[in-house]
Amino acid sequence: MLKRGQIDELLSAVGADGLITGNSQLQTYECDGLTNFRVMPDAVVLPRTAGQVQAVVRLCARDRIPFVSRGAGTGLSGGALPAAGGIVISLARMNRILEVDLANRQVVVEPGVINAHVTQRVAAGGYFYAPDPSSQSVCTIGGNVAENAGGAHCLKYGFTTTHVLALDVVLPSGELVQLGAPMLDAPGYDLAGVFVGSEGTLGVATKITLRIVKRPEVVQTLLAAFDSIQAAGQTVSDIIAARMLPSAMEIMDSLSIQAAEAAVHAHYPVCKGLLLVELDGPRSEVEELMRAVKELCRNNGAWEIRIAQSEQERALVWKGRKAAFAAVGRISPNYIVQDGVIPRTALPRLLNEIEQFATAAGLRVANVFHAGDGNLHPLVLYDHGVAGQEEKALELSYRIMRLCVDHGGSITGEHGVGKEKQEALGYMFAEPDLATMQLVRRAFDPENIANPDKVFPRPRLCAEKPGPYTPHPLQTAGIAEIF
Amino acid sequence: MSASAALTLEQGVAQLAAMVGEEHMRRRGETVPTIEVAPGDMQQVAEILRFAHANALSVMICGGGTKLGWGNTFTADIELSMKRLNQLREHAWQDMTCTVQAGCSWTAMQDALKIHGQMVALDPLHPDRATVGGIVACNDSGALRLKYGSLRDLVIGMTMVLADGTIAKSGGKVVKNVAGYDMHKLLTGSFGTLGVIAEVNFRLHPLEEHHGTWTAVGIGAVEAGMTASSLAEPLRALLDAQLTPSCVQLRVFRGECALDIRMAALPECLDGYEERIRNVLGTLAISKSGEEVWNARQQLFDDDDALVLKVSVLPTEMCLLAAELHQWTAGGGTDVELVAQATGLMMVAVHSATDAAFVALIERLRARVIKSGGSVVALQIPGRLRGSIDVWGPNRGTLSLMREIKRRFDPGRILNPGRFVGNI
Repeated sequence: MLKRGQIDELLSAVGADGLITGNSQLQTYECDGLTNFRVMPDAVVLPRTAGQVQAVVRLCARDRIPFVSRGAGTGLSGGALPAAGGIVISLARMNRILEVDLANRQVVVEPGVINAHVTQRVAAGGYFYAPDPSSQSVCTIGGNVAENAGGAHCLKYGFTTTHVLALDVVLPSGELVQLGAPMLDAPGYDLAGVFVGSEGTLGVATKITLRIVKRPEVVQTLLAAFDSIQAAGQTVSDIIAARMLPSAMEIMDSLSIQAAEAAVHAHYPVCKGLLLVELDGPRSEVEELMRAVKELCRNNGAWEIRIAQSEQERALVWKGRKAAFAAVGRISPNYIVQDGVIPRTALPRLLNEIEQFATAAGLRVANVFHAGDGNLHPLVLYDHGVAGQEEKALELSYRIMRLCVDHGGSITGEHGVGKEKQEALGYMFAEPDLATMQLVRRAFDPENIANPDKVFPRPRLCAEKPGPYTPHPLQTAGIAEIF
Repeated sequence: MSASAALTLEQGVAQLAAMVGEEHMRRRGETVPTIEVAPGDMQQVAEILRFAHANALSVMICGGGTKLGWGNTFTADIELSMKRLNQLREHAWQDMTCTVQAGCSWTAMQDALKIHGQMVALDPLHPDRATVGGIVACNDSGALRLKYGSLRDLVIGMTMVLADGTIAKSGGKVVKNVAGYDMHKLLTGSFGTLGVIAEVNFRLHPLEEHHGTWTAVGIGAVEAGMTASSLAEPLRALLDAQLTPSCVQLRVFRGECALDIRMAALPECLDGYEERIRNVLGTLAISKSGEEVWNARQQLFDDDDALVLKVSVLPTEMCLLAAELHQWTAGGGTDVELVAQATGLMMVAVHSATDAAFVALIERLRARVIKSGGSVVALQIPGRLRGSIDVWGPNRGTLSLMREIKRRFDPGRILNPGRFVGNI
């Protein structure tokens, strides 16, 4: 528990309207988008300046108080889950777009700026901010930086890391430094490169210089309906083999189509495998390539092919896709989202395996995935009310994650490791790999106060089983500590 | 290799020979000998480093040797040659990824990838001799960076050997992956000071099968400096034109001042682009060029007596800075040539100046660009000037953090000691 004196110091750092200590208000912050983990923080601060963030972090450093920074709390891996006895630093009030430099294609923002607002701000000048996670209308750039957020269009445009030039960061010591620079290749280690995607474990970003992209001359979006998800997957492979680089390729199966329809009425064809392909670039080239894509769809048995005829139609197609996760709530009382990645070529095998395991467990799995880059989002559906089903669902979900690693892939493509997958990280990386990552972590945060007990597997205590987070009995009893 | 209390030179040589075989070792220098050792696999790299770490012997990591002059001068007891680790280990062409050993030359790798019409979308210096490991360690990049990004975007995984012999992996073989820290990004551009890059996983792109290069020569080519500033507006218009060129460079070289533009497209679309470029560039004369214009950056290094600087500025500044550089040096016996990428990265070669003029120029340049966040790094320094030129320039306040990272990765400071920023 924070002491009275510490609360007073927080108060003087951020003011009365920037400090939350009341239980009912603290509850808002007890979890992020991964709601099955909940921890009440001792306090939440809402700083308005980097100086205030520094003051809070200095206090944390001095008294070894754990802190967790938080944007909009839309993360799906528990990255913004508070640390017990710790402080949540909400960056929601640091939400100004500070500079726009179209000629140099740069925008400087505070971490609480909402992703979609960056594009809105520069759209009139013919630019956009490329990373587009499904939550982009509410998630913040600070959170995107922490998770190295992707989205549907990162196949062509890259991830958050591709678009971050420089960051002002409050280190866990309280020191404010600039990582990277608005100009390329600043001499020194690529600290900005390693900071992006570090899930809040290396410090708090208080200002970010982003790269924006010129809007392509034309964008075309195609929907193709197939009788199997495998045929849709084969079409993706054929498009890649034909040396095309679409800006997005997405696949949805019948369950997720059904869910998306119920939620936003995207008018998708009712089919077993729906493929969405988006091409952008100069008009002449896009038109030529789209002809080739249609041909490949037909060759793989597509029985309906549509091209969105207007910006409104295109927006609706994407709205359905981006609503797919939440929409699954309409066809199942509970679900678990997974985020594994596999080499594209392993897709047919993996889908068969998922189906087999799901059938064996008596559960349904809805599949939505970024097919171009092999990033799966299997949604394991279950009913919390049915005894034993949640455990089965968790086991199946964890099994899918391991399958991704077995196929040469990764446990997470964009959601991050956070709390949810910290044990799975130990399945993907060996001890020396993890120990080397810890060298980086300790260089930034020797006291382990920045988002502690996330990302890395906890040291195995005897008789501890791998799986979703459960506090070890020794830890609960206060006998052992987790570092 | 200096003899220490614990180890005589002969003992050291014998132990290294036992690891890699005598045929893969060479002894150079008499008074302070350096032992060149060429391991045949990653385990041997680890063994050598464990040995060096235990005996406090410094190690210089060497690929093709094309960039050994970059960074601060330093000496080492052991020269670790990666030349035998030179295989493309895996090309998963349907997944568009590959795994390659660090000692593979860039061209050898690209030739093998070409079989399936793919490439690592980067055009570094000296591709025929430079190795994958060296290029990644120095974070080199060329004109393709405009379209495809830098190594930060292309390296998706890495196997590294740390100073104590630990073999560690980072990233993976899939393009989209946010599991764990991206240590490969930290190693990229670290000049071998954090670990030995042993293997690299790249994401691949389709080869640019059909492409063309056009050159717009600036007005008044004789006064190269003045011409450079006149190209600022055409360059801005070009980048704003939704044309997606692969490369755009400002080339002030051998008496010519020009903008080079490379477009890759379907063959049926390529001709249409010439017309569009003409429309965008207005009154500038445009002609089709050969691919050789893209070699100009490398040719800046041909003169060993030239000081070659890597200057980083905002894209909008580069034409103006090129013009200023010529104004500064006009009539003073100093000649400046440069190749600047549209990303704002400029390679500047300074010729035939007096020693004082070299030093004055670099100081003036730093004063001009650093206050707005840019940087000037001396890559090639004429031998006699080594020691009188600050290679890296002033640091920006992250030096203590960088030193702490170095301390944790390489506590004995055995890897390329002193070569990097702040004598790391």
